[in-house]
Amino acid sequence: MKASTTTLPLTTGLIPYTGPWTFELAAHLLRRTTYGPTLTNIKWALGQGLEATVEKLFEEIPLPDPPVNAFYPGDPNVPIGETWIEEPYFNNILNEQASYRFRSVTSWTFGLMWQEGISIREKLTLFWHNHVPVNAVEDPKFLYRYGALLRSYAWGNFRDLMKDITIDPAMLRYLNGFQNQKEAPNENYARELLELFTIGKGPLAAPGDYTNYNEQDVQAMARVLSGWTVFGLTIESTDGTFGAEFHPDRHDDGTKVLSDHFNNEVITDMGDQEYKHLIDIIFQQEEVARFICRKLYRWFVFYQINEVVETDVIAPMAQILLSNDFEIKPALQALLKSEHFFDAAFAGVIIKNPVDFLMSIVKTFEVETSTGLDEIYDSWYRIWGFSRKMQMSYFEVPEVAGWQAYYREPLYYRNWLNASTLPLRMDYSEGFCDAGFFPFQANGQVMRVEALKLLDQLDSPDDPNAVVEECVRLLFPKPISQERKDALKAILLPGLPDFEWTVEYQAYAADPANPAVANPVEAKFRALVRSMVTMPDFFLS
Amino acid sequence: MKRRDFLRNMGVAVGGPILLNGFGLSALAKSRLFSAINDDEDRVLVLIQLNGGNDGLNTLIPLDQYDNLVTVRGNILIPEANILPLTDTLGLHPKLSGMKTMFEDGKLGFIQNVGYPNQNRSHFRSIEIWASGSPANEYWTSGWAGRYLNQQYPGYPEDYPNTDFPDPFAITMGFLVSETCQGPVSNFAITLSDPFTLSNLAEWNTDEYAGTLFGEELAFVRESISLTNQYSTQIHAAANLGSNQANYPDTELANQLKNVALLISGGLKTKIYTVSLGGFDTHGDQVVEGSPTTGVHAKLLDTLSGAIKAFQDDLVAQGLQDRVMGMTFSEFGRQIRSNGSYGTDHGTAAPLILFGACTEGIVLGDNPIIAEDVAVQEGVPMQYDFRDVYGSVLMDWFNVPKATVKTLLYEGFHYLPVTTCGTPDSVRERPGIGDSIDLGNFPNPFTGSTVIRFQTKDEWVRLSVLDGMGQELAVLVDRKFNAGTHEIPFNGRELPAGNYYLHLKLEGVRQKTALMVRAR
Repeated sequence: MKASTTTLPLTTGLIPYTGPWTFELAAHLLRRTTYGPTLTNIKWALGQGLEATVEKLFEEIPLPDPPVNAFYPGDPNVPIGETWIEEPYFNNILNEQASYRFRSVTSWTFGLMWQEGISIREKLTLFWHNHVPVNAVEDPKFLYRYGALLRSYAWGNFRDLMKDITIDPAMLRYLNGFQNQKEAPNENYARELLELFTIGKGPLAAPGDYTNYNEQDVQAMARVLSGWTVFGLTIESTDGTFGAEFHPDRHDDGTKVLSDHFNNEVITDMGDQEYKHLIDIIFQQEEVARFICRKLYRWFVFYQINEVVETDVIAPMAQILLSNDFEIKPALQALLKSEHFFDAAFAGVIIKNPVDFLMSIVKTFEVETSTGLDEIYDSWYRIWGFSRKMQMSYFEVPEVAGWQAYYREPLYYRNWLNASTLPLRMDYSEGFCDAGFFPFQANGQVMRVEALKLLDQLDSPDDPNAVVEECVRLLFPKPISQERKDALKAILLPGLPDFEWTVEYQAYAADPANPAVANPVEAKFRALVRSMVTMPDFFLS
Repeated sequence: MKRRDFLRNMGVAVGGPILLNGFGLSALAKSRLFSAINDDEDRVLVLIQLNGGNDGLNTLIPLDQYDNLVTVRGNILIPEANILPLTDTLGLHPKLSGMKTMFEDGKLGFIQNVGYPNQNRSHFRSIEIWASGSPANEYWTSGWAGRYLNQQYPGYPEDYPNTDFPDPFAITMGFLVSETCQGPVSNFAITLSDPFTLSNLAEWNTDEYAGTLFGEELAFVRESISLTNQYSTQIHAAANLGSNQANYPDTELANQLKNVALLISGGLKTKIYTVSLGGFDTHGDQVVEGSPTTGVHAKLLDTLSGAIKAFQDDLVAQGLQDRVMGMTFSEFGRQIRSNGSYGTDHGTAAPLILFGACTEGIVLGDNPIIAEDVAVQEGVPMQYDFRDVYGSVLMDWFNVPKATVKTLLYEGFHYLPVTTCGTPDSVRERPGIGDSIDLGNFPNPFTGSTVIRFQTKDEWVRLSVLDGMGQELAVLVDRKFNAGTHEIPFNGRELPAGNYYLHLKLEGVRQKTALMVRAR
């Protein structure tokens, strides 16, 4: 699988985009900031304009109701339909109660993405999950609280998020913070806090010195962070409480001295408030702002960051972040409204990650789930299962650095596609169109692309050329060659003149409930969509 | 096969006899008879990545250091009575009984203390270093095996696969592409989850937007689909032709190796396979409290040993054992001192395990030095540079000339006798195996200056000082010396008290590490 060789175009920087607002640009903005925009979404954004669309993306919406027990009858503390997020365990926890609750929280998370309208919140939640990941945390209550924390900060204050995540129970568990104590320091979290979460590792300047920090800082910070443990992790209890806990006797109350990278700061004992002070010290370094801006850039724009992008985009964005006291919203909004973001050179250059890919099918085509709590959760859970098979599993990030697509040179996004995952993408794409087999159809429940629903929304559904055109601009980042358009049209009209489609469509439109006219149109249009969602263009955003 | 490769290989006759497997000598297998005379063309290298940083000191245990190990890692150390004896001074974790049998059968060997100068203790970065074969302070985006394959087959994937090379050059089992096989342009490894699945993905002619970023991504997807289809046909055919003749444990790693054996047996001409086993980042609960022979690490080693043993048995049963060599690697070893969580934190050097052909009796390197007063973050000091191991495998196993190895890895490359197979180039390098090397400093411990004494032949000498973190503090000497005993003064006044290591690299295969203590 090849690495990129094309050079970046000259950038236009963070100057606000003021050119014409087109369908293509509205679609670009929504594809990058939401999951699987529908035709209705894109037309709405087109009508509203850039400014109003960005406002809508960042509109405060209430936090969702928590996940519930959708199907498991064996939990006396949690009736079906009720939430479990604070409820105690009683026995056989890992095999039964934690197991159904894990299923519940992953399903529910996919449900949030699936049901979200025009909002950037879920994409940012996943961004933070990639940035400060967890994996192998066996207690779903911990995972729910962790996910809720990320969601509540979506475009909030980065520094405050880092304070909260430092003593988040799932994170304490994941990076061994719960074992970090005075007598036996555990450096795992302190190292990643610097290297991957806040300031980043610079070039090796001297032995043990990574330009932005050194080994002395890692050791000193591990001591600062000592003393925290977790309680209530998958254990039987009567009240179900769990969380992080500070133990003064496990905390190293000695004086810690940081290196000159942090102005030789001396930290004296502050007990359970010391970690906040430490985060404040780290955030005095402006590199922290540039570091997170680069990661946002790679999530929303493109993976390559050359010197020009660094100077013209990252630096001014970091400046906005700094002047807004690390509030993410103004800096990210400036990026999303910039000439650079809408530069045609960056349209379609991101290979969709598995979650985005799946959502762009189920949401754009308004795939329906059955009614009934169990069935709805089950549909969501299947999507999680598909994304997991394609190597992107919510709550199971493979490495503390996140998914390789967002940091690993030289392939970056190309890491998503290989000889194992490509056939899966094809299978799922076709599966959602056919929906004749498990796991798309089981227990009376069908997850299927709603072909006619989309066809009916098109501007000129009776014109086969327009049908192809409109589908291309809805599903693909850029126009395609006439040759390919002809090939697609031939799916609607195998060897027939154009007017035959018009005749067929009009017959259906006049009597949509009549299967004799509706079914053939539906079948043809479904075949067109089925081909399009396996084309390389559909893999790109 | 390209003519120039054929000519290059004609002059070399190495290794054991060529055995064809006894099963279904079909048209596919017959068409390969001709190329089978080119021994190194049919050689297979299997790389097993141990993700997370394997604790070498609880894998291959230096018995002569046991007393000090009790002091510094008593809460996780394997009790002496449970250790499987391997040599007079080395033992194995009790879960490695399969490996012990293989060692006794001449099918497994070890290289001790493999690492690199200026050890980086981030997983993320150290995996990159191990995959790329770069120095610790340089960022290379291609992998070492990828560069080797690119040197052999420049231009890939343009015009591949073709009638001479119908099979993938490398296969990675699982769902993630191998960084080790990343070439300068393209990744040489095809990922494979199920060899029996035949891909027939829709292909579209989408040669649009050439020269733009979008066009490039479009072409990438298109080419990936096409390569997947083409190689899938070959893999599918080999899977149906091949067989397995051993009982494998029910683990993911064993299943991956089972598929590797199947494809080799089926005649696939893939040269490099990569498989992996994760979970070695044992910061906590590496062993069960009070029961150090059980726990996460024991389970991992059991999985590793069981899978390798079954794989080897399979190859032997099918007469394929002379064509396959394997090697493990991990991003770092762990710290010498255990932590309070019955685990170990990120460290420095660790042993590599070699198995299969040409590994008879190999135990390269000295037992690691365990000082009694090891500092918290100290790791096992490196004796051998991992790039020297890689390069030597390329020389011995794939018959790559030394000069080429230098261009693929680094100019300072030193050949190591990592296998018992020789090529003319590697055999020439071998004298000196087993020579004792004099290296030490006096006084030791020291407070101000000390004198370092070492003995050389008429040869190039590199002498450096490492600290307990594996950082190279100084290169004292990097020049030609006349034969004799040499003394050079070293001023350690400015160094904090603690353990330091002298690392001496002589010409040929001779390298040594010695402990030097800066007293309080």
